Amino acid sequence: MNNVKDKVNSPNQIHEMLINGAITPSQAIIMFCELDSCKMPPVRTVQEESLDEVMRELDQLIGLTKVKYLVKEIQAFAQIQKKRQEAKLLAEPQVLHMIFKGNPGTGKTTVARLLGKMFKHMGILQKGHTVEVERADLVGEYIGHTAQKTREQIKKAYGGILFIDEAYSLARGGEKDFGKEAIDTLVKAMEDYKDNLIVILAGYKDEMEWFLQTNPGLRSRFPIQIEFSDYSVDELMEIAKMMVEKRQYKFSPEALAKLEKLLQDSKNDKNYDKLGNARLVRNIIEKALRRQALRLVSQKSISREDLIQIKPEDISEVPVN
Amino acid sequence: MKRCTIIGKPNVGKTMFLINFAEYLGAKALNVDLLYSDGTKNSINLSSKTAVLRLVDENPHKTRCIQEITLNVPMGKGKKKIKIVDTAGLIDGIHPDVDVRKAISQTLSIIRDSDLILHIIDAPAAKSKDLPSSMGEVDYQIAQFAQLKRGYAILANKMDLPAANEGLDKIKEEFPGHLILPISALYKRGFKEVKAFVVRNI
Repeated sequence: MNNVKDKVNSPNQIHEMLINGAITPSQAIIMFCELDSCKMPPVRTVQEESLDEVMRELDQLIGLTKVKYLVKEIQAFAQIQKKRQEAKLLAEPQVLHMIFKGNPGTGKTTVARLLGKMFKHMGILQKGHTVEVERADLVGEYIGHTAQKTREQIKKAYGGILFIDEAYSLARGGEKDFGKEAIDTLVKAMEDYKDNLIVILAGYKDEMEWFLQTNPGLRSRFPIQIEFSDYSVDELMEIAKMMVEKRQYKFSPEALAKLEKLLQDSKNDKNYDKLGNARLVRNIIEKALRRQALRLVSQKSISREDLIQIKPEDISEVPVN
Repeated sequence: MKRCTIIGKPNVGKTMFLINFAEYLGAKALNVDLLYSDGTKNSINLSSKTAVLRLVDENPHKTRCIQEITLNVPMGKGKKKIKIVDTAGLIDGIHPDVDVRKAISQTLSIIRDSDLILHIIDAPAAKSKDLPSSMGEVDYQIAQFAQLKRGYAILANKMDLPAANEGLDKIKEEFPGHLILPISALYKRGFKEVKAFVVRNI
């Protein structure tokens, strides 16, 4: 039987042997099993990123010095709390609800996602996923609907992070707006599930300040406030280089110079804080990749170098509006 | 179209399950395609009553070809077409009749490219060793092989007979980690769960 097995490499052979009465159906199934499992791609074991990897990912983010410092603080605190628990000392579960203030494209969402993963590894959160919502996901259309919708999102985020983008818009409609109901529900949930839910409110700096003033109780409930400052042109250039490298492209030196000038000019644009920072860089790069493709597609012979390099003519302004 | 294959040892009630399950899903008449091992094809149209008379028999290996039915499975608000395939019974040893061996070979090739596998085991016969339908080596091999598939369930059949519950316990003991649904193909019991399983996997 064993020497027969070695020779089998096609299903037809197995069928033939089966029909000829050389093997039993069970033996045939075993052989099929072996045949098919060789062909099947090995099952990829889903490996969880370790805490070190997540920290490295955070360190790789350009700029954000304040954020990184704070994250290290929280990490240290969590570790010490654990040690204290082991030593039978009083260990307060820290309230980790946060407010992220900063312009779009300054890395708020990216940091929130990383925090989720990190807290999971540190044992602060059970699942560590991030649920990203905005006003429309929380506020309903009729009385009573809002609480229901908000609670739904909270349930989804349970065990992870509820990230509310443009959170100030919840207070914008005035007294009668349903946004207020969403805030109330949220505050209640934050108390109820404080052991396994972290709420992060994010938005523009000025608007968030105003938001916190309209709801005096809020500020105390969000003990951690992080300000994401705008990137400098140098930092943006670093980001741009990293982005193209990830996509296996490269800027020519002239292209780099052009990009730098473009970014410098855009800083003076009055709409910069709406569509600036890393998001602007990403948009410029995505457009450049498309323009490079268009330039190459009509070319007769395309070298490997051509496919990689981005030239100055590929880089153009992206309308900021 | 997804293909759902019914397999098992001879006389466990594969064909009976096919006919009654089709009726349960709302088929008025059965349009059965018979695919023989030599490549010929035959189509017959039967009511479920005559189908039971024509296709089901107490002697093992009544079914010696592939019997296919295309069914509309109600799913949510719509319907989805699915092919349900009945096969020749698999045995532990080598069968003396070459036609049966051919039919078995055909069965195995069908198993390899079906999306769903319903593996029927005769529950009351699970404890005994000598009946043609009692559990055997081939059942374990099927369970091993079918793990590679997405949808695989064991149907413990003939739950209407006495001693079936003990058999069911034995099956549960022997096949841990697999989905095991107790049914009675003859009286259409447990079909709701089977339908739910099929719907889930198509």
